[in-house]
Amino acid sequence: MGKQEDRKTVTRRDVLKLAGTAAAFCTSFGFLHGSQTGGVVQDKHIGEWKQLQARWQQAEIKWYKGSELLYSAPFPSKVLKHLQSDEAATVEIKLFRAGQMFKNLGTIQQKF
Amino acid sequence: MAGPHEILGMSRVLGIGTTEFLALYTDNQGTTLRSEADGRCVFLTSSGCRVHPRRPLVCRLYPLGRSNNERGEERFAVFPAQPDCAAEVGHDGTVETFLESQGVGPYLGWSRRYGELYRRMIGLLEQLDIQGKIDAPAADAPAEAAQAGSGSAGSGQEPDRAPLSSWQNIDASLDEYCAAKGIAVPAEIDEAIALHLRAIEDWLDDLESRLTLTA
Repeated sequence: MGKQEDRKTVTRRDVLKLAGTAAAFCTSFGFLHGSQTGGVVQDKHIGEWKQLQARWQQAEIKWYKGSELLYSAPFPSKVLKHLQSDEAATVEIKLFRAGQMFKNLGTIQQKF
Repeated sequence: MAGPHEILGMSRVLGIGTTEFLALYTDNQGTTLRSEADGRCVFLTSSGCRVHPRRPLVCRLYPLGRSNNERGEERFAVFPAQPDCAAEVGHDGTVETFLESQGVGPYLGWSRRYGELYRRMIGLLEQLDIQGKIDAPAADAPAEAAQAGSGSAGSGQEPDRAPLSSWQNIDASLDEYCAAKGIAVPAEIDEAIALHLRAIEDWLDDLESRLTLTA
């Protein structure tokens, strides 16, 4: 009887397959971010995705005009590798003019 | 980006199976199409696209982009012209006529169906203690990505080459599903996609029932 009850539970393997499939569909279809082929599941799931995604794989820079996405490009691989090398690794985004920094836009870190 | 149904279609144009396609032509664990070193699509040749008859939705839409907000409202916009793109873009017609001319309809339908399944997965995950389970993998429970890669062309693949989920591989998924059900694997692409969707629904039904039992 105990064995039969065990078979009815959701196993770690089930959970991993479920999370893996959700992550794969998220990226394959662009369900997470406002992509060009995205389906009907969008921004409200970003929170859940952050919980599921133990390690993210890609970071993008996006250009917007108002709310319209004009263009996007991945982070340079060197920056990405640095960020993924260690949870404590950081990247700062700063604006310079004539060799002088005039604005610090903030810091990006691997861990949310 | 490349959904499992798109991978199936392209693999058939090339005369190979989805296992081989995933290994040869995808990156990011089977979720995106591979690019050449200079950024060109791996299927672009001097005579055009090698998989044109079954090109993915994103290619059919270009130069349009499509987005949905969380209320499901759909928007289309025109991408800025790409300097290296040889495509000729006209300005006549409507979005609707353009989509029709590109055979977008079935692809949007499939994208929505897979989206519904994705929402069910997220709903199930919300009911589970995911964080603890994912952060502490057990030695006896290999990652789903590793399972998907084993016993197929994925054998010996680098970990980041193996698909994230075995459901990304329609041929392998349907072989297993049809064997269990005692039915024939569909030869037609559209039928195979429909059965793939049903197989995932069955899997989610089973997971939901087990969650209900253990609640």
